[in-house]
Amino acid sequence: METVVKNNESSSQLGVRQSFWQSFKKNSIGLVGLVMLSVIFILAVFAPFIATHDSSSSASAEIGDIYNAPNLEHWLGTDDAGQDVFSNFIFGARISLIVGFFAAFISLIIGGTLGLVAGFFGGRADNVIMRFTDIMLVIPDLPLIVVIVALTKPSLLNIIFVIGLLGWTTTARVVRSQTLAVKSRKFVLRARAIGAGKRHIIVRHILPLVMPILVVQAVLVVSGAILSESALSFLGLGDPTALSWGQMLNYAFGRGAMSIGAWWALVVPGFGIVWVVLGLTLLGQGLEQTLNPRLDTHHLTPGRPAVQSEAAKPSVEKKGTILEVQNLSVNYVNEGKAPARAVENVSFTLKEGELIGLVGESGCGKTTLMLALLRLLPSAGQVVNGSVNFRGRDLTQLSDDELNKVRWKEISIVFQGAMNALNPVRTVGDQIAEAIIKHMPEFPRDLRLQARVIDLLDLVGIAADHKDHFPHQYSGGMRQRAMIAMALACNPQVIIADEPTTALDVMIQAQILELLDSLRKKLGLSIIFVTHDLGVVAEICDKVLVMYGGVTAEYADVDTIYNEPRHPYTQELIKAFPDLTKPKKKLSSIPGYPPRLDDLPAGCRFAPRCPAAFDRCHTEQPALHQLSENHIASCHLVEASK
Amino acid sequence: MSDDQFLKVRGLKKYFDAGRPGLLSSTKTPRYVHAVDGVDFTLRRSEVLALVGESGCGKSTLSLLLMGLEDPTEGTITFEGNDITHLKDHERKELRRKIQMVFQDPYESLNPTQTIEEIVNEPLLVHGIATDKNERDERVKKAMEDAGLKPADVYLGRFPHELSGGQRQRVVIAAALVLEPEILLADEPVSMLDVSIRAEIINLLAELRITRQIAVIFITHDLGSVGFFADRVAVMYLGRIVEIGTMLEVLEKPQHPYTKALLSVIPVPNPRMRRERIILQGETPNPIDLPTGCRFHPRCPVAMPACRVSDPKFEILTKTHHAACLLLVK
Repeated sequence: METVVKNNESSSQLGVRQSFWQSFKKNSIGLVGLVMLSVIFILAVFAPFIATHDSSSSASAEIGDIYNAPNLEHWLGTDDAGQDVFSNFIFGARISLIVGFFAAFISLIIGGTLGLVAGFFGGRADNVIMRFTDIMLVIPDLPLIVVIVALTKPSLLNIIFVIGLLGWTTTARVVRSQTLAVKSRKFVLRARAIGAGKRHIIVRHILPLVMPILVVQAVLVVSGAILSESALSFLGLGDPTALSWGQMLNYAFGRGAMSIGAWWALVVPGFGIVWVVLGLTLLGQGLEQTLNPRLDTHHLTPGRPAVQSEAAKPSVEKKGTILEVQNLSVNYVNEGKAPARAVENVSFTLKEGELIGLVGESGCGKTTLMLALLRLLPSAGQVVNGSVNFRGRDLTQLSDDELNKVRWKEISIVFQGAMNALNPVRTVGDQIAEAIIKHMPEFPRDLRLQARVIDLLDLVGIAADHKDHFPHQYSGGMRQRAMIAMALACNPQVIIADEPTTALDVMIQAQILELLDSLRKKLGLSIIFVTHDLGVVAEICDKVLVMYGGVTAEYADVDTIYNEPRHPYTQELIKAFPDLTKPKKKLSSIPGYPPRLDDLPAGCRFAPRCPAAFDRCHTEQPALHQLSENHIASCHLVEASK
Repeated sequence: MSDDQFLKVRGLKKYFDAGRPGLLSSTKTPRYVHAVDGVDFTLRRSEVLALVGESGCGKSTLSLLLMGLEDPTEGTITFEGNDITHLKDHERKELRRKIQMVFQDPYESLNPTQTIEEIVNEPLLVHGIATDKNERDERVKKAMEDAGLKPADVYLGRFPHELSGGQRQRVVIAAALVLEPEILLADEPVSMLDVSIRAEIINLLAELRITRQIAVIFITHDLGSVGFFADRVAVMYLGRIVEIGTMLEVLEKPQHPYTKALLSVIPVPNPRMRRERIILQGETPNPIDLPTGCRFHPRCPVAMPACRVSDPKFEILTKTHHAACLLLVK
């Protein structure tokens, strides 16, 4: 899961250089827009060859040529001057596009520069530029353009400049905010630490990340400029010698096309404007979706239903067992490629009041496993085998409605990264109350609700007077406590804690561990604690499941895991820990990196990094060996010594 | 040049504006965040000094001050005998080659649109050194291989998102090494990495200090990770150093109650060795309104009435071991 998210995040910044076209190709909205624009472009560029009539020769107009309906000679009829509408339409495309692109070019240069300067230098420059921008924004564009154009000579060049000089405001704002965002990133600080000057930082670090936004913005500015020009021409302020689409509308409207019923003289140029603006809008949307992956609807698209497996029989409820996962396998569907086997054949049981640690490096499938329990996988994820038995029901086979009754009310989750999981504009108390109401609509919405919120906060050690504070007023540790309170809102029996202490200081980490341990005793909770840090779980858990590359490496009670580990991976993980009693000892590390889930080794998944690997490990995947009642390890060495 | 003159920090302070009094606010005195509030230490050539403390103790601000990325409010920093406290940008450029930094988050500290080669090459470009292409390539490759990215050719054309967290941190280290610095400031270089990879990065830093004679200032919140390679440890709380000593002195004979608490909460990967943990309640108070007397007294498990009033001075326990606590006053 983690790898999926990370890839996703970085694809945003892959840069224009690499896979932009690859992903844009798949964006049908963007492609439609691109094709629509290309058609007009080709018409405009090759106008003299396509046009059936020369639009400049109007001298020979006779009364009989005016406002002729579409016929064989004039496919789209003739206009008020007896000219061919089709030809005018094509030549008009040239004028409209020229105005649109040149005016937009001016706007983008001005807006881009001002936005960059304001965002990068900040302080007074920012203040002056942005206040000026604000003033420009509140002045209604069109009336101002009308006034200026009316005062100057209505030439095409003037129109381009006026539209360009007034259309930069949104660009400046967008570029400024993107610059601010990029400027605060750590790689800019690192560049300063290297000794890079301002120019270097702007050119090498800021611009490459502002560019994608500017490209999207450019498309919108072009369409705005084309609309402005059309409006001006329609109002009779256009260049009378340049017959743009707006000018065509103006002439047709002003010279009685409506009263004669010559619809073609109005519809054709109108269609041109709509076509281009629509094409640009679609292209803009396509570009934005490609360049800005935050628009991905990741967890909101419904997951794939679990594959029905015969093994999935509601097992006999063993005494005290609350959750039993049997042979669970999860794949990520990879278009055109073999599915990524993110989790394979994992089993564990959770008893009432028990705390189990789910341990492994990033990308070993632990988050996927956890999300699969409640079927919260992203849309590419699918449970392909196994069962999740929770109090006699198989969660993989429940309908979404039935599962919604289990989610949060019976099994809830404390997510990683408490800052991102809280809504910054609502008070913490409010968000906890919302969690209660959402899952228990019958809960009375009066003082009892407030009392419940205060109870929950008290339970996690937050004083009642912090109820009405916002998340940014909370420290990191308090936010994590608030997340735990939210998870407790509906009195669940099981809590899944996904790396709840990872970004926290050791002292705060110790506080949170102590809190979880006390809640477990006080409320009889069962907890699944997901972490990459074996040291953390040693303090509080009863059992440990060590995962590697999506499979179970070792599963045993906590004492066995730390004192008699049998899997080399567990042994290496423990060795990687600094031992405070022998501070001078050199730390040992596990060379290499976990396997990519779409490129798993043929044999044991740990073999490439295993210090004890032998031939068989590279060709054959080891089975799960039961060493004792509560001890499972999947390693060929274990089998040999049995 | 004597070793004491290598890097010397005296009475260093950095206060940030905590919002000037507005038109409608009731208080009329400006308020300050006392991020760093009087720090003294020296660093010797090729020595490893660990700076340990919770978030909000001022250790990251201290690192930015040392790098000249923030301007100190008070105090002096001298490097090789020269005062470098308030250098102008162009004066500092030469110095930057000698003091380099490794940042906490290897996912954030690399520009996603640059290739690894461009990233490691960038410092050379900025400083205009090794203008000959062959020489430059050689230096880039050497820095990468010294940082453990072997063979360098495999990585040159890749982008940061194609690398794992540990590899990215090696790229950051390579980009610092390429300038052949004398001091490496490592700000929480392993806290974002998996435990299995942390040891690798720490071992790499320890090796560099031997092969390249680089002094390292290692900033971390985890006392447990400093054992193997730090020579000395300084523990910070609310903008000040509260205890400083050799690694063994601090880890084996901690004197300040805060150091003792920090040591007690380090996770021990063995359930048979579960110990009594001293869990301090609450978090580091905000550095705007500092507590009176000893800054640690509101959270101190052994605070006495006197701690509320008097701010303890450093007690000299041995030549190398100093701690600021009233309990140590004889």
